[in-house]
Amino acid sequence: MKIYSCCGKDSIAKKYYCPSCGESEFKEREVNGEGSVYSFTKIHIAPSEFAHIAPYNVVLVDLDEANAKITTRIEEDVEIGDKVTLDRIEDGAYIYKKTA
Amino acid sequence: MTNTYVHGIGMTKFGKLESSLKELLLEACAEALNDAGRPKVDAVFVGNFMGGSISNQEILGAIVANDLGLGYIPSTKVEGACASGGIAFRQGIIGILSGEYDTVLVAGVEKMKHATTSDVTQAINAAMDTTTTEKNAGLTFPGFFGVLANRYFYEAGASKEHLARVALKNRENGVNNPLAQFPKPTTLEEIMEARMITDPLGLFDCSPMTDGAAAVVISRKKSPVHVRASSQVSGPTKMQDAENLLSIPAIGKSGRLAYEKAGVGPEDIDVIEIHDCFSMTEIIATEELGFFNRLEGWKAVEQGRTKVSGDKPVNTSGGLLSRGHPIGATGIAQIYQLVRQLRGNAANQVANNPRLALAQNLGGTGSYSTVHILERV
Repeated sequence: MKIYSCCGKDSIAKKYYCPSCGESEFKEREVNGEGSVYSFTKIHIAPSEFAHIAPYNVVLVDLDEANAKITTRIEEDVEIGDKVTLDRIEDGAYIYKKTA
Repeated sequence: MTNTYVHGIGMTKFGKLESSLKELLLEACAEALNDAGRPKVDAVFVGNFMGGSISNQEILGAIVANDLGLGYIPSTKVEGACASGGIAFRQGIIGILSGEYDTVLVAGVEKMKHATTSDVTQAINAAMDTTTTEKNAGLTFPGFFGVLANRYFYEAGASKEHLARVALKNRENGVNNPLAQFPKPTTLEEIMEARMITDPLGLFDCSPMTDGAAAVVISRKKSPVHVRASSQVSGPTKMQDAENLLSIPAIGKSGRLAYEKAGVGPEDIDVIEIHDCFSMTEIIATEELGFFNRLEGWKAVEQGRTKVSGDKPVNTSGGLLSRGHPIGATGIAQIYQLVRQLRGNAANQVANNPRLALAQNLGGTGSYSTVHILERV
């Protein structure tokens, strides 16, 4: 997973300009995608494109190797603090799983 | 100081209504114009979010100008998701501040109940950045506030019962407001046991789909209600970009700007309408606006401080949760309620002749926020 950094701030998405210094050059580095559950919700009422998998868990993951968070989907139920890792990328979504 | 004054207000009943989008809009505008004594209007701003996608109806500004016989004046529709109304109000104020207009009609309107829930959900999703991995993960609008609420519980020690107390308070207020969507009383138990929408938010924690419109006439000519400050800012458009999930920086920043412009602080505000799109949002907003310390808004709810009889009455109209949330109309409906409070004839009138009132209107999951401070002069 790629992380973009400038002015001491990490992000999983590249912006046009750094909001702190205005520069457009970001440092890029690879991280392993492991992290812990920062928070979560189980979505029962879903938009039509996700209705077939409802209820499902959307989980905000705090990455271990970056000062950044990433919004993911996890099939298992989770609690805040659970260790999780990237399982796969599916239809443009990060699908995570609990670390065994 | 904006040297802009409120001269007239109008609002339809909120709920599931037979009237069309246009009929709702015109009804509220006509009431506001009559309340203002039918002044000459120099411009029209209309807040609306989904007229195009759900009702196949745009050009709302020109419809108002034409059908109300206001003449060949400039008119504009304003879109800022759920903050469309607040932003329209601010555009009217800026038009007067610029010197271009003396008197402006500002309205907000939405028609949602005729459409299916899935069509409305789809239309509302347009208020998120729809090109991101988090949208692909299935994050929804309510889902954002569900994630926020679980973290809030974890850090602040609050529980689902505190969210339920927000919903209960706003329902108690809505029951006394003849224009509100939900006239039926409820109980803490019913709220706690209602079906889950997005954990931990149940049905009563989420604002409903609503038809309705509201309007206000403002002018540089003096009246007893002065718009003391107007502010607007943008914020993060993605959950994973939030530096602190338990802060909605657009609310805090718009609040600080408004206090600075008005030369007052949160301690001076007598009555408040804030954007309780979800019960959780009301608590966070009361913290962001400085009424209570961070992570302590839930304690104020528990102590009854935000009730009509409390020292910081929040959402005496019933709020979005019980007055209803016709998206583009909400920001104007907040102004309607606060003007009634300052005139002394509101539903759930607060005691001791309130002098300073604050409205905060939120768009997206923190993408836009407006704050207006009104003063009885």
